[in-house]
Amino acid sequence: MVEVGIKIGLSITQIAVVMGVVLLTVMFLTLAERKVIGWMQDRMGPMEVGPYGILQPIADGLKLFFKEDIVPAGANKFLFSLAPILALVPALIGFAVIPFGPNLTVEIFGVQFQPFVISDINIGILYILAFTSIGAYGIILGGWASNSKYSLLGGLRAAAQVISYELNVGLAIVGVLLLAGSLSLVKITEAQAGGFWHWYIFAFPFPQLFAFVVYVISAVAETNRLPFDLPEAESELVAGFFTEYSGMRFAFFFLAEYANMILVSCIAATLFLGGWNAPYPGTVIERLGFPDFAWFEGVVWFTVKVYFFLFLFFWLRATLPRLRYDQLMRFGWKVMLPIALGNILITAIAAYLFPVGK
Amino acid sequence: MKENPYNRQITRSPNHQMLNHFKTWIKTITFYEILVGMKATLTHLLHYKPITLQYPHEKRTLPDTYRGMLALLRYDDGTEKCVGCDLCEAACPSRVIKVISAEVPDEPTKRFAKEYYMDMTRCLFCGLCVQACPVDALGMTREYEWAVYDKRQLLLNKPQLLAIGDRAFPVREKKLELQHPNVAFFNVAFKHLPPKVS
Repeated sequence: MVEVGIKIGLSITQIAVVMGVVLLTVMFLTLAERKVIGWMQDRMGPMEVGPYGILQPIADGLKLFFKEDIVPAGANKFLFSLAPILALVPALIGFAVIPFGPNLTVEIFGVQFQPFVISDINIGILYILAFTSIGAYGIILGGWASNSKYSLLGGLRAAAQVISYELNVGLAIVGVLLLAGSLSLVKITEAQAGGFWHWYIFAFPFPQLFAFVVYVISAVAETNRLPFDLPEAESELVAGFFTEYSGMRFAFFFLAEYANMILVSCIAATLFLGGWNAPYPGTVIERLGFPDFAWFEGVVWFTVKVYFFLFLFFWLRATLPRLRYDQLMRFGWKVMLPIALGNILITAIAAYLFPVGK
Repeated sequence: MKENPYNRQITRSPNHQMLNHFKTWIKTITFYEILVGMKATLTHLLHYKPITLQYPHEKRTLPDTYRGMLALLRYDDGTEKCVGCDLCEAACPSRVIKVISAEVPDEPTKRFAKEYYMDMTRCLFCGLCVQACPVDALGMTREYEWAVYDKRQLLLNKPQLLAIGDRAFPVREKKLELQHPNVAFFNVAFKHLPPKVS
């Protein structure tokens, strides 16, 4: 009985820490995005709140918190309230299976405990795919329930975009799964240990480079970021699916978008770039003679990889204009889907001819 | 026969066309154009030179011929320059100015502006009224921060316009003895100044 209590307590602490880190990262990202894009466009970004505008996220948060919460006339009130939650919860829940650091098992008060992954379930990646698909319902329902033509168009676009790009995300991942022989993110990461030539983007027998490119492009589309931000296209649809949202409900959509960005970056780092594995065999800290603190280096490498992807998101947004709708669909179905399918075929043959591990 | 330089593309061999197609294809699959764009943005990030002016904290230097808020001027002895001739009202393209002129009591040849209104919500700062004024009674100041919460505050009357002129032009023009204040002599008193641009 006591053991169960300790287990629950540890889990709750772990969840609280992960959620705290994710939400803090979201806060930081809102500022970083505006700053980075500003610098890329020869602007300064926010400069007023605090020195060099570093307190801008707090000001934004306070503003959103105190804003009036408006439900438009004729809106479906239940779905209108449900949609932001439906968008945010799946985005946050996916972090449960992401391994943030080495797969250690610590014993605390006689309880086995994995500090760097909340739950190492053996269908981790399927779980994430399933929940991110639910996140799309939040957007679609939010667009429909607002009783506004802009929101509805945004929601419709989101629906069409999701079916074109969710598919490519799934198919791009299959190659990695074939090589790793597991759906658990911890096992997939461990299979990539020992230097960057073992990462699945470069790995023998078939480098997943094409799958990686397809995954990154689809991930940008899946998180509704530029150049695929058609559901919220500012210049066409006011703000797309969240035109009618204000206050905390708008903040939920905003949080969901950024949490999704972090989530897809984590998955990309875990599946293709070796997760917490350093690009060289072993760790520097272990060589220096502190094997107990080698986990720190793993966590740092994971963070670096995730932030590389997040920077890539900003970079693409600062560079590219929005695609037209038919271009987006054509690119998804006629270009990315065949590449992903071909990649699966070749990877399957390669994995059959040169079985790794097992 | 002379070769037409514009036909070069067409007269090229099929091999060249194949090569061009191949180049385009390579550029497409490697996202060449996107990479060029991303290189441009990254260059701007690394060589960060913002062109932003943090407006309320820093202000740009105004050009010498800046046309800002309008004002009514006075002579150095404190009398108004305006003779109430209505020429500014006639010159104004957006009907900003409204002048109600009257005779100076006991002096039937002298006139002055009894009331003078400017609706600055309509003003487009073209400066035609300043050019039209025969006695240089109007001036354009360098003030531009005139945002107000109530539009009615932009309907200015004579004392307000004179106050703007007082604070914007501390050095006033000398009133000459020979210049009759109410006769439009068309700037005879200012021969030392360059003529007006018209």
